[in-house]
Amino acid sequence: MRYVIAGYSIVLAILFFYGVQLAWRRRRLVKAAQRVQAFEATVDDGRVGP
Amino acid sequence: MSPNQVVHSPLDQTPRARRTLRIIGIAAVVSTAFTVWLGLWVTPPDQVQGNLVRLVYIHPGVAWVALYLAFGLAAVSSLLYLWPRTRSLFWDRLAAAAVEVGVVFNACTLISGSIWGKPTWGVWWAWDARLTSTAVLLVLFLGYLALRRVPAEPDVRAKRSAFVALFASVDVPIVHFSVLWWKTLHQGATVLNPNLSPTIHGSMAWTLLLGFVALTLVFVWMLLVRYRIGALEDWLGRGELNVALLERQAEGGHLPVVASELVGAESVVEATPECEPEPVPEGVTR
Repeated sequence: MRYVIAGYSIVLAILFFYGVQLAWRRRRLVKAAQRVQAFEATVDDGRVGP
Repeated sequence: MSPNQVVHSPLDQTPRARRTLRIIGIAAVVSTAFTVWLGLWVTPPDQVQGNLVRLVYIHPGVAWVALYLAFGLAAVSSLLYLWPRTRSLFWDRLAAAAVEVGVVFNACTLISGSIWGKPTWGVWWAWDARLTSTAVLLVLFLGYLALRRVPAEPDVRAKRSAFVALFASVDVPIVHFSVLWWKTLHQGATVLNPNLSPTIHGSMAWTLLLGFVALTLVFVWMLLVRYRIGALEDWLGRGELNVALLERQAEGGHLPVVASELVGAESVVEATPECEPEPVPEGVTR
């Protein structure tokens, strides 16, 4: 039974950590995109620039 | 910029899309938990394999996702990208997402198979046709992912990646038919056999089926999230040009922290305000 437990643990852990990593990557990119959008909007409003 | 490089802001995600993704995620977690419960506690041990049969509830499921869903989708998407009428970076991004998720599932297939093989065959690994062709598949698609990291224009990268994905996909039918074409240690297909008559019954069959459904849902959730990551990276890549131009316009206007927050859009780092703006000759306006 220990092989079975090991098999389930390893496969589920890999899928879980990969899923968490995807969610984390997406979150960071969304934040970065929001900052870029905010910066572009600031420049479009003429608050920054010549 | 060619028309297929136009990227709408991926921040414009509808509430419906967000809700759908959440529902798929919850369904994936619940069905996986249910599969584990049935697989470990409810189903009986096999007459021949004993408790080791419990590994069979997840091993074919991860293999199904890797081989047929992920790499199959990557092949179809790559083909649609190469087809001039359907050429769009959407297909390239979908193929890239499918391959990355597929590689994870392919690794899980090899690991779970190896753990099952040790007590059954007495070895962790055998140079059997099914095992070897599956390992080759993993290496081929790792090569695909490595190739995508080589800096290039989006269209060039998409084109060469599509060719590599199609080349690598040739191994998928080889993996599938390897147990029929060669004498292998690996058992034949339990469900997708030539007669299409499953050789598993009762609670074992239902648990196996639920495992397929659960892992398919996990794949769909991962694929959608990974696709969005690709879309965000592309959008930020487009933003890189705009940011550089805006910075020039703003004459030293800062874009704080953005570069450090970008993952996968390495070139944006070059657009940070550490670069000194070029001196502007008198009388020249920007």
